[in-house]
Amino acid sequence: MAELARPTGGGLAVYGRLVSAGVRGRVYRPGWLLVRTIGSGLIILADGFAVALVVDRFGTLAGWSAPEVVLLVALSAAGQGLGLLLGDRLEPTYFSELVRRGTFDQVLVRPTSPLAWLIATQVEARYVGRLLAGVGMVAWAADRSGVVWSGGHLLVALLALVCCATLVLSICVLGAALTFATVEGSEVVNIFIYGGVTLTGYPVQIYGSVLRFLFVWVVPFALAVYVPALVLLGRTGPPGLPAALIWVSPVATAGFTGLAALGWRHGLRHYVGTGS
Amino acid sequence: MRAYLALVSAGFRRQAAYRLALVSGLLTNLFFGVVRTSLFLALYQARPGAAVNGLDYQDALTYVWMIQALFGVIWVSWIWEFPESVRSGDFVTELTRPGDPWLRQLAYELGRTGQLLVFRSTLPLLGAALVLPLALPTTVPGALATVASMLLAVVVSFEVRYLFGLAAFWTADFRAPFSIAFPLLWLVGGFTIPVDYFPGPVRAAAEASPLSAMVMAPIHVAIGWPAWPVLAGQAAWVVVLGLVSRGGLALACRRMVVHGG
Repeated sequence: MAELARPTGGGLAVYGRLVSAGVRGRVYRPGWLLVRTIGSGLIILADGFAVALVVDRFGTLAGWSAPEVVLLVALSAAGQGLGLLLGDRLEPTYFSELVRRGTFDQVLVRPTSPLAWLIATQVEARYVGRLLAGVGMVAWAADRSGVVWSGGHLLVALLALVCCATLVLSICVLGAALTFATVEGSEVVNIFIYGGVTLTGYPVQIYGSVLRFLFVWVVPFALAVYVPALVLLGRTGPPGLPAALIWVSPVATAGFTGLAALGWRHGLRHYVGTGS
Repeated sequence: MRAYLALVSAGFRRQAAYRLALVSGLLTNLFFGVVRTSLFLALYQARPGAAVNGLDYQDALTYVWMIQALFGVIWVSWIWEFPESVRSGDFVTELTRPGDPWLRQLAYELGRTGQLLVFRSTLPLLGAALVLPLALPTTVPGALATVASMLLAVVVSFEVRYLFGLAAFWTADFRAPFSIAFPLLWLVGGFTIPVDYFPGPVRAAAEASPLSAMVMAPIHVAIGWPAWPVLAGQAAWVVVLGLVSRGGLALACRRMVVHGG
């Protein structure tokens, strides 16, 4: 208690301490946390391995070699890991619990931003495993497909990682905002979190026009991951989605994040609680 | 026996209450089915008409939609209910009820998965069969064999889930063993690509494992493999895993300590 009563200095330091308190609260069995961290990385490695195996068996996928496709899988996996590290607990399955039990009412009376409090206190440390496994896989795939790691290329890879993570987190926030209205959790949000990342794991030209439109211009995963991968691999890209669109990636990501923020504010303003 | 049948029916009706979950589950199946269909169509485009490791493109598409039909009945949404009840202590009341606790749970879960098989599994499969050239059985014996194989897969998956659930008797963090084993199950079971594409020794190991009885067996029966050997293999795994999971339960009950009154 003495530690909690200490003046915090305000600002971001508060959130830093909330993150540390939240993570420490979950590490009641460090061994098992380590096991789950490894597990969250292994699943991505299994996916990457399967993709490499199947593309290798057939030769190419839409003209892409196995390591090139693995680069797509790896970039989206790393981004998903980073996004879920922050946003996993906002998924409707968990967040509906906070709304139904009235726990969220307590969050509202705290002297912090409710969303920032939710994210800071519920960091899921095990997704570090997915982030690291994803980054490792990026390194392997880039090496095998002859990517030259110039400063610009490093920036492009970092841009893909950050944009993908931001999209995943934004979808989590939108899912939570939706839960204000539905109260019961719904799995539909998972289509965008896991489905979006699965979808960007393959070259976009294999999809029909509806899926392509949805994931380029509505939930811009293709702009966040596929277009940067085009730049890294020195490819020009299919008609309608050239590598030159790399400049649109951060803009589209920011636009989607803005929509998620609006959705959250709308949900919060109409939140009435579930009664006791 | 009548009590177990009543449990099957109760499970069926309970699952029927989750309409929103059914709709979102179907949407999820539709989405992943379309993505995987795009993948395999693109892969086979480079080799028109050819079979790769024994699978032609119709077999591959059947694999995609059979996986969508099976996924929800293998990794069911209530997977953590049993271990949660062990951790909270509610499971103790199960031991005081008449009959066999393992069989009662099997009966109840068969009812719940039965409801999913009727509504969640058939819809994506039939929908896909309308628009894609799936290699589903066209004869009555073939269809019956496929349904029988799916039911056996459901029982095997119950037993596999039960084994993971038993971890709750030893640790409160019962999800950890599952989280480390799941990637292996995911890959070797054939959830992400058909086991048929694996290199020889890995494929042989995967086909000799109980995972094959849970995932690939009904798919192989559906695409026209001789049904009897596959069904016999599944039945053998039902017996083996049944004995192991029941043995695990007996072991757990012997070391269980019940607190409070």
